[in-house]
Amino acid sequence: MSELRRDPIGGRWVIVDTDHPSKPEEFEYEPRTFRGGVCPFCYGNEAMTPPEIEAIRDPHTSPNTPGWQVRVVPNKFPALQIEGELDRRGLGMYDMSNGVGAHEVLLETPYHEKDIYDLSGEEVERFLSMYCRRAIDLVKDKRFKYIMIFKNYGAAAGASLEHPHTQIVALPMVPKNAMEEIRGAHHYFNYRERCLFCDMIRQEKEEKNRIILENKYFLSFCPFVSRFPFEICIIPKKHNSFFCEISAEELPALAAILKDTIIKLKKIFPNVPYNFIIHSSPINGDSDTEYYHWHIEFMPKLTRVAGFEWGSGFYVVVTPPELAAKYLREV
Amino acid sequence: MPELRKDPIIGRWVIIATERAKRPDQFSAQAEQEPTEKPCPFCEGKEKETPPEIYAIRPRGNLANSPGWDLRVVSSIAPFLRIEGDLDRRGDGLYDLMNGIGAHEIIIETNQHIANMADLNDEQIAKVIACYRDRALDLEKDKRFKYVLIFKNYGWAAGGGRIKHSRSQIIATPINPKRVKEELVGARHYYEYHERCVFCDIIRQELETKDRLILDIDGYIAISPFAARFPFEVWILPKKHSCDFTSLEMASRIDLARILRKTLAKLKKGLNDPPYNYVIHTAPFKRPKVGYWKSIDHDYHWHIEIMPRLTRVAGFEWGTGFYICPLPPEDAAKFLREVQG
Repeated sequence: MSELRRDPIGGRWVIVDTDHPSKPEEFEYEPRTFRGGVCPFCYGNEAMTPPEIEAIRDPHTSPNTPGWQVRVVPNKFPALQIEGELDRRGLGMYDMSNGVGAHEVLLETPYHEKDIYDLSGEEVERFLSMYCRRAIDLVKDKRFKYIMIFKNYGAAAGASLEHPHTQIVALPMVPKNAMEEIRGAHHYFNYRERCLFCDMIRQEKEEKNRIILENKYFLSFCPFVSRFPFEICIIPKKHNSFFCEISAEELPALAAILKDTIIKLKKIFPNVPYNFIIHSSPINGDSDTEYYHWHIEFMPKLTRVAGFEWGSGFYVVVTPPELAAKYLREV
Repeated sequence: MPELRKDPIIGRWVIIATERAKRPDQFSAQAEQEPTEKPCPFCEGKEKETPPEIYAIRPRGNLANSPGWDLRVVSSIAPFLRIEGDLDRRGDGLYDLMNGIGAHEIIIETNQHIANMADLNDEQIAKVIACYRDRALDLEKDKRFKYVLIFKNYGWAAGGGRIKHSRSQIIATPINPKRVKEELVGARHYYEYHERCVFCDIIRQELETKDRLILDIDGYIAISPFAARFPFEVWILPKKHSCDFTSLEMASRIDLARILRKTLAKLKKGLNDPPYNYVIHTAPFKRPKVGYWKSIDHDYHWHIEIMPRLTRVAGFEWGTGFYICPLPPEDAAKFLREVQG
């Protein structure tokens, strides 16, 4: 018998196939490949990108020249534009506004073919610290209500460029999924006066069957309600609403757990495309967000989302999270 | 300047990214590397290779599970949900769960090995529509179910699998799906304020401005929605208000078949036979207990959403529920109006 499970945060139901769970070798995914060609993000090609916003560089090197370790540039084809006013308006019965926002690209390493698992812990920590620096800077712009940090890895996961990069988008409104999570967490908090995510961490640590890795500050586990097979959540054990308020002690622990989780996933699914997203509290609002708890949602792209999922918002998870966690723990 | 647009029904914002806009003809489906086709169990003469049929149109009265049919419905061999058993709602710490009870059926739309519904004739599509209705009405009798979702996956990238035989799927669920619930709540909210159906208002505005209108024939319209999530997303709506797809009249089926085939043919011709999904959104089963949908007959309006799979949905969309549509719906509609269907 398969199970229907309800996400305690957003209230979404998913179908978990506990009857005939898919084994890792049964997935037909499109592995990440290199097509080659000139890469505008590579070391030495700094002139091919828009001027850099921020970088971690060797002393005495100038912006937009070699000598960098991490580099942030505006997206050449931004989904949103930084200049201008929001200008909310109606069009008959419809509502719209200008597409104001920031859209940046963070180059995680100068090396085209180095992925997160090839980098040292310090190198991962370095680009994660840049995530924070950019978030802290973007919060200052009062037009923005939400900052999205996400990575598309591999063409099947939506990456149009091969060079290891993360995208940062500042939005003038809180996106739908984030709003649903925040509402769900708020509702739970009002009722129990506890953080839903802290409760979830407690239950996961007791039951243990969905945990992949744990270190002093972080937990990596397959959520009870995943939308995708082998979906992973990485969460700080200490309650904190905002990703950019991560402490100096936590940062190396985050780098380690992120890298080790990806290494485990890669061992089961070589070159699997994936997306990860940092979920954090909205910014520049007057709302009290002590009930929200930042985390990373990590989604390998193993299946194709089809009409049923699009039409219903139901997801079918062909490998139960307990089993996925077991594979990942034991690899 | 890119635009942010809000879906008037569920309130989802989308980015219409004019800066990175491509011309409509640049979206043609890429010849993606597809795995090899599997032998087809759905063709006429292969009836023994499927689970026993639940429903069929057999004009010459042949025996069930033998040749001589126009359309067949069978259970899925890999069902998401099982028909036998009780729901058994329960908790596990802070989590909630229940058994995966439901129905999962496959509608084999033709006895010929034709892949795309766009290549069937109007009469055959009308039979498919009649079958959707009959199956939905039959599943409604099972009191465990709250909703029936009718949908189609065409092409590998749209989840259509390795068998290229035109078919749809029907899934009955014991809970109302989230996406539908959002529409129901949004439509009710709009009705409470305006005392009008939000979909009827959309139809009125689209017929007036014509910018996003693709087809307007026989009581149905096909439009590019104002806040489209995907390039060339198309919605088909009946102009006459109705919340329930199963109330479709006999005479109206051929009209719906015609606009559906024409729309699919336009997509096929204009965009090089792209993979696509479509879903029918209709009101949930009206159980006597469900008193809170008092105005559903007036506030909800059934429709079909067609989503060609021309771009890849990436982390941004999954994480935020905020979609970036790289083609203004007005340009998509203009392009599709001009393609012969």
